[in-house]
Amino acid sequence: MRRGAVAWGIALGAVLVASITLAVTIGPAEIRFDEVWASILSHLGLGASPLTELRDGIVWELRMPRVLTAAAVGAGLALSGAVMQALTRNPLADPYLLGLSSGASLGAVSVILLGAALLLPLAAFLGALLALGATLLLASALGRITPTRTVLAGLAVSSLASAITSFVIFWTVTGDSYREILSWLLGSLAGARWPAVAIAGIALVVVGIPIMFTGRLLDSFAFGDTSAAALGVNVQGTRWALLAGTALLTGAMVSVSGSIGFVGLILPHAVRLLVGPGHRALLPLSALVGAIFLVWADTLARTLFDPRELPVGIVTALIGAPVFALLLARRRADA
Amino acid sequence: MSRLAIALSLASAGLLLGGCAAAPANGTDATVSSVSIDNCGTTFSVDAAPERVITIKSTSTEMLLALGLGDRIIGTGFQDGPLPEEWADSDIPVLSEMVPGQEAVLEEEPDFVYAGWESNFSAEGAGERSELQDLGVDTYVSPAACKEAAYKPAKLDFDEIFDEITEIAMIFETDPSELIEAQKETVAGIEPDDRGLTALWYSSGTDTPYVGAGTGAPELVLETLGLKNIAGGIDDTWSPFAWEAVVDANPDVIVLVDASWNTAESKIALLESNPATKNLDAVKNSRYLFIPFAAGEAGVRTAPAAADLAAQLSALSF
Repeated sequence: MRRGAVAWGIALGAVLVASITLAVTIGPAEIRFDEVWASILSHLGLGASPLTELRDGIVWELRMPRVLTAAAVGAGLALSGAVMQALTRNPLADPYLLGLSSGASLGAVSVILLGAALLLPLAAFLGALLALGATLLLASALGRITPTRTVLAGLAVSSLASAITSFVIFWTVTGDSYREILSWLLGSLAGARWPAVAIAGIALVVVGIPIMFTGRLLDSFAFGDTSAAALGVNVQGTRWALLAGTALLTGAMVSVSGSIGFVGLILPHAVRLLVGPGHRALLPLSALVGAIFLVWADTLARTLFDPRELPVGIVTALIGAPVFALLLARRRADA
Repeated sequence: MSRLAIALSLASAGLLLGGCAAAPANGTDATVSSVSIDNCGTTFSVDAAPERVITIKSTSTEMLLALGLGDRIIGTGFQDGPLPEEWADSDIPVLSEMVPGQEAVLEEEPDFVYAGWESNFSAEGAGERSELQDLGVDTYVSPAACKEAAYKPAKLDFDEIFDEITEIAMIFETDPSELIEAQKETVAGIEPDDRGLTALWYSSGTDTPYVGAGTGAPELVLETLGLKNIAGGIDDTWSPFAWEAVVDANPDVIVLVDASWNTAESKIALLESNPATKNLDAVKNSRYLFIPFAAGEAGVRTAPAAADLAAQLSALSF
């Protein structure tokens, strides 16, 4: 089992590297594979770029940061989803269910419309944290915090945050700039440049990697709060800390990509099919599969209707919803 | 042209007139004529020239002003920007900055609502066309903006715009010939650029640029200027585009649409700060053409806007 997980880890890591290598060579502009990689290597200090300054810009300023952002966001969202499913013991939990994404969206849309785009990541963090706080406060107001109460509270908070977001957009958007907001709400990586790589990458390293090592802790949650406490886990403290961590991670990802759906929900399930429910393997593998999935979903989004672009959230939902239905059907067969 | 020919009938005389030039006789009160119109699939007949008109978007307001019908406008909504200088002192009440709601429209008791986009007529907007019609309010959408397959222009040309002028003039029982002649003269006066240049029509958007594509007013204007649209292959009026495709095409000039909410300056700042676009020839050499947002949509400002852009273009050196 453990050896199997390691083998999967190595295999998926290789697939991720291959995916990134290949995805940067695909796009509306026809640039040969070897030229793309010569250009990338030149930016890493190896040799000279064979491309003109402009075409070099396509590779290094547009495609590369976009593909890397997709990988980081996919990893972050899938990881957040896996953690939330464990903490709430609810297979339908993900950052969306608990209102974090809606909260992050509200924070981000508000500062965009106020013209303070520089505060975007901060506002998304705060929005996600506030939404999480509201969800947990509401859940505790209903009595002892249970998975069901948390999910219901998350639904209420998420509806409210979405309504306020819609209200803000409705009142302030003029002319045809609503398109920008719309593609943002659906999730899009079209605007991902190096600063986005920095935000998503730092969040993944600083918040995501420590979370990846909490598998043993999460395993103890699988049998209920009481048995977790019996194993010596500080149940409430751990839960709050991990939820705050996923809020930070989600906020960072939403601030660079908008609300991309289904990544956090379905990919942990897909990984469970591969390696079973143990979280020590599930967390890092979910991050890898999430990264691979979003790299390809975004490659589809920018090439399917070339030279037009599709918000990547549409692609993830179109792929994710049927896969999720299959997962549900399989769970039913298991039961 | 053909659509108009079908639409036009003089019921009292039982005559079918088959041409654009055959506008109803101006000012003769003897006309008990009824004009039937098929506009984007909505049909109605006009027995008398509308007196109380609400216009939504700038193209409709400007169309009526250009035909000397400004006194019929009782209110405007969702104007794209300030009126051109020649009409700047016309005192038209503004109903709403955005699309006015159904009740706000009906409260003014209009007999005609003239909109620039089909989407302006919706339950959330000025009201469904059929519902307004049931209440005795005729509705009209700029035919260039029709979205139904049978009505959407395959590719906009100036005749389409002149047809709209003729049809509106017919509804309002006025003579369009002076305006159309002036427009034709303006178009004829434009010398297409023969330097074989390519262009991007940058309308809005930051992460995903929203650009003039192959079938609408932007394409018509660019072709009139002798410019090749780098997004001309997309079968749509406007379309989302990709920065990668822009950089790949490296257009010789960039047309910047200037709107209060998305200014030309903000677009220049974006183009110059984005590491991928700052090396575009047009950006490095500041080869920009400027057009106000309201002039970028099909209407009476299309021809003058093309002439204005032509003058800007001829001043650029390559």
